[in-house]
Amino acid sequence: MRLAVTGLGSFIGLRAIEALLETNPDQVIVGLDLQLPASLEGRIVFRPVDLTGPTADGRIAEILREQRCDAVLHTAFFGTPQSDVEYAHELEVVGSLHLLNAIGATGIEKLVVMSSAEVYGAHPDNPNFLTEQHALRGNPDSHAVSDRIEVERLVRLFARRHPLVRAATLRPVAVVGPSIRNRFTRYFGARTATTLLGYDPLMQFLHEDDLVDAVLLALARDLSGPFNLAGAGVLPLSTLLRLAGKRNWPCPHPLLYSLRYLDSVARTSDPPQAFYDYLRFLWVVDASRAARELGFAPLYTSKEAWMSFVVSRKLEVYG
Amino acid sequence: MRGRVPAKGAAGRNEFEELRNSISSLRDELETRFELGSRVPRDADAPSFSGAAQSSRVSDLEVSGLDPMELFDRARRWMSRLRGETRSAEVDEFGLDPVQLERARPLLDFLFERWWRVQVSGTANLGGAGGERVLFVSNRSGILPYDGLMIAHAVERHHPEQRRPRFLVADWLATLPFLQSGLARIGGIRACPENAERLLRQGEGVVAFPEGQKGALKLFRDRYRLQRFGRGGFVSLAVRLRAKVIPVAVVGAEEAHPILLRPDFATRLLGIPFPVTPTFPHLGPLGLVPLPARWRIRFGEPVRFDRVESHRAEDPLYVSRAREQIRAKIQSLLDAEVHARESVWR
Repeated sequence: MRLAVTGLGSFIGLRAIEALLETNPDQVIVGLDLQLPASLEGRIVFRPVDLTGPTADGRIAEILREQRCDAVLHTAFFGTPQSDVEYAHELEVVGSLHLLNAIGATGIEKLVVMSSAEVYGAHPDNPNFLTEQHALRGNPDSHAVSDRIEVERLVRLFARRHPLVRAATLRPVAVVGPSIRNRFTRYFGARTATTLLGYDPLMQFLHEDDLVDAVLLALARDLSGPFNLAGAGVLPLSTLLRLAGKRNWPCPHPLLYSLRYLDSVARTSDPPQAFYDYLRFLWVVDASRAARELGFAPLYTSKEAWMSFVVSRKLEVYG
Repeated sequence: MRGRVPAKGAAGRNEFEELRNSISSLRDELETRFELGSRVPRDADAPSFSGAAQSSRVSDLEVSGLDPMELFDRARRWMSRLRGETRSAEVDEFGLDPVQLERARPLLDFLFERWWRVQVSGTANLGGAGGERVLFVSNRSGILPYDGLMIAHAVERHHPEQRRPRFLVADWLATLPFLQSGLARIGGIRACPENAERLLRQGEGVVAFPEGQKGALKLFRDRYRLQRFGRGGFVSLAVRLRAKVIPVAVVGAEEAHPILLRPDFATRLLGIPFPVTPTFPHLGPLGLVPLPARWRIRFGEPVRFDRVESHRAEDPLYVSRAREQIRAKIQSLLDAEVHARESVWR
């Protein structure tokens, strides 16, 4: 397999490449990004590409043909919501469109796109377990989630037009672990947590090592369509905080939303609901399709992933 | 390609286990050294957290019988109990917490035996065959989901082989703050076909209320008159999963919270239904206490769908006929029970 990877700077892009090179040092990997991370220097074939550029699709198609790639791993997404909403949209949605156009023009057989279970959205009327068939309702307040839904739509359209390309989308729940950084690790990494008074949803986590494992499986198997990824088991938010020994300040949600408004808009240009909805309502997924078809068996349960994250953060603080 | 990755993950996990063990042993040591969380009263010479600088103040207070550390410890314990800190570190996948259910049991027993003095009949219909999928279908009444709780309790008490069934809770209740998480910990689940199907497939009994919100919020003058039975989702489910449907009649829950008025303007203002009962809202939180009517729960003869072809689940005419049959059954059970009782309170 000759693999092309976009988004070398993203956690999953970097870790997946490292895991692939570790198992097979002769594996040809073509990196497509603006710059090459220092740790990958000399280990992969690097081709500088700006996904947002107006002729990016032609350039990518050229590279894919030149390197005779047959699989693409698309991870050029931001881990945390950006304040520059327009650039994020250009990169995530338009960049994906360019990449999909390029893939359609070349003989790529396999595409794996990183998405997130946040695309289902946390809603009071969600069933306890969301399956892949459930509508992507997302979160109307969150730009990042709306962009992901748009990307998923593009991938679905692409898959319909190019039935020979096996396009798999991975939808992990909140990913935690010692080294990943996203909005959940940012929130839970703080010493205290502000929760919403009266709301105590069940949460699920996926460990970062398991996510890498799932990406490798998705690249190895010839499957298409979306896959929910989650560690086994669920735990209420309050129990999680207690397990971590974190102080918890319950705050009525209208008050919290108005207090956090400016801070949240400045940081992510979304109102606080864009994040706090995921701590208010249920968005637990049913990961049985990944287990059945991908053979994905996470090593960490939700609770173990959470404890691993908590312990690693404690070590950071206390040396 | 896959071979090496789990090995690496396993190594990471071992390290993590070691780390966790060392942290917990450190914590044990700290706890024994400083007697944190122990009830042993400290004597004057023992090292204490208050330190030397404060020792004079400590002894002053000890004269009057108040050790500040002891007080602090007691207050912390009390607060932790208040905050429901006794809970298990594992819940089942729908959020049922066995520890909290055990803690709630004395209250449930009190409601069952003393407050409503529930009379249960027709327990022979519960059957004993294990592995059978059971769907309890009942009339919904009262505002809060006491009836689901009491049916689950009745099944558990009167039928040791049967596991405690889970009861479904209508949307508008399942989204209310506090109530939703509290109900989930003791076995309530938001009513939707996906949840019911998953539970039945796992072999759990499920208590469903096809009337839904219309039943819970019907006025007192409409008591014990069944409302429309949804769209028959429960019939399709039972046909598809070959579950037996046990009709259940609950009498007495209507009088627990008799609804006198249901002002529309308040509903529109609050976004949630706002019923007026003889005690709510003018008595405030006291109005949430249900009235102690005597309850009767009767389990009817099970309806089986074993010999029905599964494609019937998609046949709207079949579904609506079966739905109406079950509805008529429950209505006749209800009528019989209402007639049989001499008084609402005894």
